[in-house]
Amino acid sequence: MAEQFHAQQLAMAKAATALPFLTELKEQGLEAFSQASMPTRKTEAWRFTPLFKFVGNEYVQAQNNELNEELAAVANIEDLNAARLVFVNGVLNTELSDALALEQVTLFSQANAEQQTLIKNNLGSVLAQAHGTSHLFNDLNNASTTEGVLIHVAKNQQLTQPIQVSYLTTDNKVAFSVNTRILMIVETGAQATLVEQYASDSTAQVSFTNAMTEIRVDDNAQIQHYRLVTIQEEAQHIGGTHVELNRDSQYNAFHLSLGSKLSRNDLVVNHNVGGSHSEISGVYVPQHDDLVDFHTCIEHRAAHCTGNEVFRGIINDKARAVFNGRIHIHPDAQKTHSELSNKNLLLTNSAEIYTKPELEIYADDVKCAHGATVSQLDEQASFYLQSRGISKQEANVILSFGFINELLQALPHKAITHLLRPVLARRFGRDTDELSSHLLDKDLL
Amino acid sequence: MSSTAEIERRIGNEYEAGFVTDIESDTIAPGLNEDVIRFISAKKNEPEWMTEWRLKAFHEWQKMEKPEWANLKIEEIDFQSISYYSAPKSMKDRPQSLDEVDPELLRTYDKLGIPLHEQMQLAGVAVDAVFDSVSVITTFREKLAEAGVIFMPISDALQEYPELVKKYIGSVVPQRDNYFAALNSAVFSDGSFVYIPKGVRCPMELSTYFRINELNTGQFERTLIVAEEGSHVSYLEGCTAPMRDENQLHAAVVELIAFDNAEIKYSTVQNWYPGDENGKGGIYNFVTKRAIAHTNAKVSWTQVETGSAITWKYPSVVLKGDNSIGEFYSVALTNKMQQADTGTKMIHLGKNTKSTIIAKGISAGRSQSTYRGLVRMNPGATGARNFTECDSLLIGDKCGAHTFPYIESKNPSAIIEHEATTSTVSEDQLFLCRQRGIDTEKAVSMIVNGFCKEVFKELPMEFAVEAGRLLEVSLEGAVG
Repeated sequence: MAEQFHAQQLAMAKAATALPFLTELKEQGLEAFSQASMPTRKTEAWRFTPLFKFVGNEYVQAQNNELNEELAAVANIEDLNAARLVFVNGVLNTELSDALALEQVTLFSQANAEQQTLIKNNLGSVLAQAHGTSHLFNDLNNASTTEGVLIHVAKNQQLTQPIQVSYLTTDNKVAFSVNTRILMIVETGAQATLVEQYASDSTAQVSFTNAMTEIRVDDNAQIQHYRLVTIQEEAQHIGGTHVELNRDSQYNAFHLSLGSKLSRNDLVVNHNVGGSHSEISGVYVPQHDDLVDFHTCIEHRAAHCTGNEVFRGIINDKARAVFNGRIHIHPDAQKTHSELSNKNLLLTNSAEIYTKPELEIYADDVKCAHGATVSQLDEQASFYLQSRGISKQEANVILSFGFINELLQALPHKAITHLLRPVLARRFGRDTDELSSHLLDKDLL
Repeated sequence: MSSTAEIERRIGNEYEAGFVTDIESDTIAPGLNEDVIRFISAKKNEPEWMTEWRLKAFHEWQKMEKPEWANLKIEEIDFQSISYYSAPKSMKDRPQSLDEVDPELLRTYDKLGIPLHEQMQLAGVAVDAVFDSVSVITTFREKLAEAGVIFMPISDALQEYPELVKKYIGSVVPQRDNYFAALNSAVFSDGSFVYIPKGVRCPMELSTYFRINELNTGQFERTLIVAEEGSHVSYLEGCTAPMRDENQLHAAVVELIAFDNAEIKYSTVQNWYPGDENGKGGIYNFVTKRAIAHTNAKVSWTQVETGSAITWKYPSVVLKGDNSIGEFYSVALTNKMQQADTGTKMIHLGKNTKSTIIAKGISAGRSQSTYRGLVRMNPGATGARNFTECDSLLIGDKCGAHTFPYIESKNPSAIIEHEATTSTVSEDQLFLCRQRGIDTEKAVSMIVNGFCKEVFKELPMEFAVEAGRLLEVSLEGAVG
């Protein structure tokens, strides 16, 4: 079955016509993908993430690109005031997309000569830095890229308006796949905010999104990145985020995956030059028979870099979560200070967590630490709330919410906090009829 | 003694156990096939079922592939160039008492600081000494027998208590468990067998010393400890080998069974020859150690690993019974070109099972040390608890320290905590010591000792002293 899937994806990639200036990348991708074999249970990076459910379908290009009301609502993040690009099943919806008016945002297909050169020189270059952590779906993305988004923030530009790129999927009657690509270049001294959204309406769908985002952050530049995966539970998502950090640059990020049949998210941050800092937080809350997999890798290639990473997960029902957090200190990366924390709550007897925080250190003068915990809701805390007249169910909602809320509260864009708070509160409180108003009320934040 | 003289003395003494003992030995030609296995089995006068058991393991081994997942760079091992059996010649008529032991051998153990004789009597430790492939002498057998404790070479046990051995051998580590365990099952030559009857508290510490002497031989020993209900035993093992330019293979299997309410404490000080500065020579140490803990039983692994060119070792505990306890305390020191990939596995099956893992890794020189561990909470492990702490200390900028903990939970009421840190001996710490008149080398040794204290305090007294000294010697030349 895996071979069939491989052959079928290869044929689809071959059939897709690449933009003329991207043929080289496509050839490389095709070459690598055709030679790669599908992961099995023995492939370390996919040990706990079986693909058998996933490969059974025959995926085609999506035909239905209609925007419906629900989708439009999903793509509308209140108070964010973002410049938006909205794609429905992989095709740009011009009605909702106003970001193209910005000089910083272009589609690959509409790029001028200068931008084409920029894309050609940079696309795939950040991804290529991920030795050993890149996998065949990245190659497949290279091979299948026919369109993409270029966000180019020029030197010293302070872009206060967030740029929102929403990839929405909706039912297409048959199984379909979508390939997405973002290239973001934040030049020296510039600042920008990117909100990447992968979402869908509530109709069951069989979709496979293969997403790839590359971000190059030049000297002294800063980026705030949100990556929100809130797709419908039948949808499948394999996504990669690859970041290159240069001197004194900063990558601040929040990654969220609500959980779906398959949601695999790779994050690779390359600290290439000294003084760079990454601050990453993440949340996963799978339920039913969802599978969420986060593989993060912080590569410290230069001295005097710092990194901090916090991921929290709440696993409900028969869901499974996989977290693999790697900190890799290369031989010359002295004076590195890097930390990772991963905390998990298991809510039921059939929920599963596989966490593996890894340290791989080849330099001596460093400070590194990681911690991981797995437990259930604190019974004493629950009892305390109950003794104050709060029902058991609601007490558990409050505790679950509190576990995540710390990370939500810390987000610099309150609009994102406002967006996610009710989503998470409803998820935790799905079995209760009434939620305390304060959990949903954004004014009380 | 002036400080230069002291340094020279120490450099000259780098690997203190690196001498070769010149005694005649009986070694079979290198190579591995069914005949070799039959030869070993016949030599030991083993019952038929044992020969079959070995052959079955051999056939499994032939089908297996060498594991490549460890974070180790290992040169290809030619299993056909190793001799699978070597025994001191005079052993043909095994000595009946210490007086009959080849004096050369006794001197060897004396040099190693293993006083088979008087000191041990004073110390009250029963010793089984394994030289190359066979057990040389076991002390205090009679005294132990009085208490009902069986402590003897496993080859003797196969003669005297074949039923016991048959019942338990391979029950914890089956023949086809992994590549090296399969190899061991096929060719193991000796090792220790311990049986503690119901309710008996073993009157003294049991100890085995392993020594590889012969060139081109591999050592494959197998240890089996069975602690019946409510019994208690503390067991120590130590290992050394001469300095040789070739890599020598050591693949051991240790099986522990702790029945209800029993307690086994297993301590190891491993000091196989680590090879020289350029990574030439040294022992390849591939060890499978596993214990099964039944209801209320407790198994504790304590290890100090300073030797071997390659260490591949994951002492595990299967916490099968409710309320059983597993512990793992480890110090792994690597220097020069040594590589270690070591850690533990705690498999929680029973209710309210508890495990504690304290692993300290120290890397110096151009060595690489890796902690690899697994904590698994199965669905039945209600109320189980794990605490893991693994810390690494780096000395010098050419070495590496890595941590790969696997944490898997299928039970919400199980609580798992894992924390790991990596740091270096800081300039501030060194400065403070130097300021108070302690030289750099001494200061590093103090800091390292402090770093390992949590583990050392778990070791039996005599071993704790030895372990501390061993670290000091192994770290020489690592600083300044």
